[in-house]
Amino acid sequence: MTVRVVIGTILIAATMAIVAFVMVNEPARMSSFESGFTGRSVEAGAALFDTNCAICHGVAGQGIENVAPALNAADLFDGSRLKSFGWSGTVKDYVRAAIAGGRPRASAAFAGYPNRMPTWSQQYGGPLRPDQIEYLVDFVMNWQTAALAQAPPPPVVDAVGTDLNTALPAGDAARGDLLFHGKGPGGQFPCSACHSLQAGQTLVGPSLAGIATSAAARKPDYPAEKYLHESVVLPNAYVVETFNPGLMPQTFGAQMTRQDMADIIAFLLTQK
Amino acid sequence: MALFKLHLPILDDIKSKGLKPAMLAKVDDAVVRITAGLNIGDIRSVLRGDTAPRPNPRVKPHADGFWLHMKPTYYHNLVTPLYPEFRLGWLSLYFMVFETLTGVFLMVFYTPSPLVAYENMLNIMSNVPLGLFMRDLHKLGAEWMVLVVALHALRTFLTGNYKKPRQFTWFSGVILLILTIFLSFSGYLLPWDQLSVWAVTIGVSMAEATPTPWPLNLLGEKYLGDPSFIGTAINNIMRGGPQFNASGLLRWYLLHVIGLPLIAFIFIGVHYYKVIIHGHSLPPEAEKVGEDSAKRVPLDQRTYFMPDILTRELFYVALITFFAVFMVTAGGYHAPLEPHADPLVTPLHTTAPWYFLWLQGMLKLGDKVIWGVVAPGVIVGTLIVLPYVEVGPSRRYADRRVGLSAAALVVVALSMLTFMGTPWYAVSSSADQEVVAALVPQTHPGPLRTTPYDELQVGAYDAADWQSAPTPGLKNLLRQYEIELNAAEARDAMFLDGHGRMTIEQWQGNLKKITFDVTWTKPDGKPGEFTQTVYLGADSNYGD
Repeated sequence: MTVRVVIGTILIAATMAIVAFVMVNEPARMSSFESGFTGRSVEAGAALFDTNCAICHGVAGQGIENVAPALNAADLFDGSRLKSFGWSGTVKDYVRAAIAGGRPRASAAFAGYPNRMPTWSQQYGGPLRPDQIEYLVDFVMNWQTAALAQAPPPPVVDAVGTDLNTALPAGDAARGDLLFHGKGPGGQFPCSACHSLQAGQTLVGPSLAGIATSAAARKPDYPAEKYLHESVVLPNAYVVETFNPGLMPQTFGAQMTRQDMADIIAFLLTQK
Repeated sequence: MALFKLHLPILDDIKSKGLKPAMLAKVDDAVVRITAGLNIGDIRSVLRGDTAPRPNPRVKPHADGFWLHMKPTYYHNLVTPLYPEFRLGWLSLYFMVFETLTGVFLMVFYTPSPLVAYENMLNIMSNVPLGLFMRDLHKLGAEWMVLVVALHALRTFLTGNYKKPRQFTWFSGVILLILTIFLSFSGYLLPWDQLSVWAVTIGVSMAEATPTPWPLNLLGEKYLGDPSFIGTAINNIMRGGPQFNASGLLRWYLLHVIGLPLIAFIFIGVHYYKVIIHGHSLPPEAEKVGEDSAKRVPLDQRTYFMPDILTRELFYVALITFFAVFMVTAGGYHAPLEPHADPLVTPLHTTAPWYFLWLQGMLKLGDKVIWGVVAPGVIVGTLIVLPYVEVGPSRRYADRRVGLSAAALVVVALSMLTFMGTPWYAVSSSADQEVVAALVPQTHPGPLRTTPYDELQVGAYDAADWQSAPTPGLKNLLRQYEIELNAAEARDAMFLDGHGRMTIEQWQGNLKKITFDVTWTKPDGKPGEFTQTVYLGADSNYGD
């Protein structure tokens, strides 16, 4: 019995010592857990951003002209954008509100943009759960340090943009063929995934068989090159009948170089 | 004239005996009241190990006190060693108390709503002092409690204690076993993470398979338009609707914190009372066949509760508590918390809790109704009626060869079914996904997330060239990638000539994007490709 009493007492003392030790370390453990969880939230937010937001705001949140504003920009985090439309809360609150509720009306700086920010939270009829909204907020807010520290990152080198008057270099139809079919460097946006080259075959978008001929006839004072250029960087400018506007990604202007554009146009002009 | 007269007897005592003796007498008196009968001298004599004086003051707390009135004053010498009882019943009771205490702590910080339940978990772990510690203890205690109660039942069967006159004790014990399992299982849903929702989904869809017997199915068809309305109703009650929702979570919560504990405490009372009424059964070999001598303990065979049994029981409590506390701290055991519940994303390998794996294994044998509803019903029914059907008088091992062999077979069968319930048995999934899932599992951190962030250098890597990777962490990771690819080729005939690539990009200042790209050749010569993207933050602190 004495042995039991002694060992039992030692065990109780040891248990209490462990608990005391845990207690002493709690503040440090709790704060490390907190930052760890924010890190994981950013990870989850990055995945959600990629599937839901990148299509309009750009894969790196750099924004796409005439589609959606930049999110990794200093003016969002230094409060000047918020001030311009009279938001009195914090940047984080604004980001959360804008994602959850959407933006039914654009602010003055983006008045010309045709698309409205949709509602994302299930609480307001959108598709994402409240916790998913929080992950996205954490992901967007994670740009803060970098955005405030430096000028916005340069866009894709020599991106073609959405200005139709921009001068294009001479096109190489052979390389355009590769790009069209998603091959070679720069071939990460295969046109052939949605556009067939066989007459009458609809994959997702319209067939491009004979596009060189029809492109010239589509718009009165547009030559075929200009029409093709516009159709890629501003797809909603002319939508082929029976197809919905917005079906084609609006982001190619920011993702494609001038050379890519010229090569693809050169290739398409061979499809007579 | 005073309205009332203040009279403090202690002052009289001090006056007559002097300060010190009076105070000592007062303290002694308080100790007697608290222990319901033992004064300081008696306690010191207990601690010194003196033999009890006659009359024995150590039995007074049993007669006068509340806590010990149900405890026997003495036990037979033969039931006090580890064999035959292994203290499993006592530990079961202790775990019930342990779970209640840690559970009440967690309740303070928990709201049963899908909107905030998961957030509450994070708050408990990041913002409540000892929150993580209590959660881990509660979870570990729940697992151990299932184990201890199940072993207690097995031990009772092996020593034949379910036989006359203890049939009803066994029955109440079976109820407590079922309650314990469901108490543990009902707690599963509460964190509202992927693990909880999908583990409980397995359980609920099993219950949903409950058949609607003839002629009810015809009536259901006619009036409700649903021939299997009983299963549908069970499903709606357990999930709160066709899908898990707020009502469903609230129901499981109430079941976990009120419903089941209430029934359990009632049955614990009944069970314990029956144990005491019939006495602690002697080892089978110590009794004549058909005789129950538990209540007739000869004078020279008695071990008194105070102090022998009391110190034993407290010793085991101290031991198990120490182990539990040790496990959740130095032992590194932590209750899992997976990502937020998402009904649209099924984790690759969903399993029931370990104590239900045998059931999941049975479901792989065939029909959901037969193996998921009828078979468990038969098993529980058999356990309940066992003492009323198996009425052989002898508890001796040699006379119970059939019963003991059956028990051994059941144990073996349960072990095999448990293995069959794991993802290693008869679960087909595609080899390419398995390869990536081995590196970035959905249920725990896994190799990629535990690789130091700084060692994941930006670049594109080939698993086959793991030796040329720039950092040890990356080398190790790519090597594992290659091993998994080779294992997949060996395992799956549809997966030939597998190649693995991994691309690491800097995504934000402290966030990297890692893309896994597995390509292979199908037997018909066509290429296959599987890509999965994972993001990894510098501060995500997955540990190892």
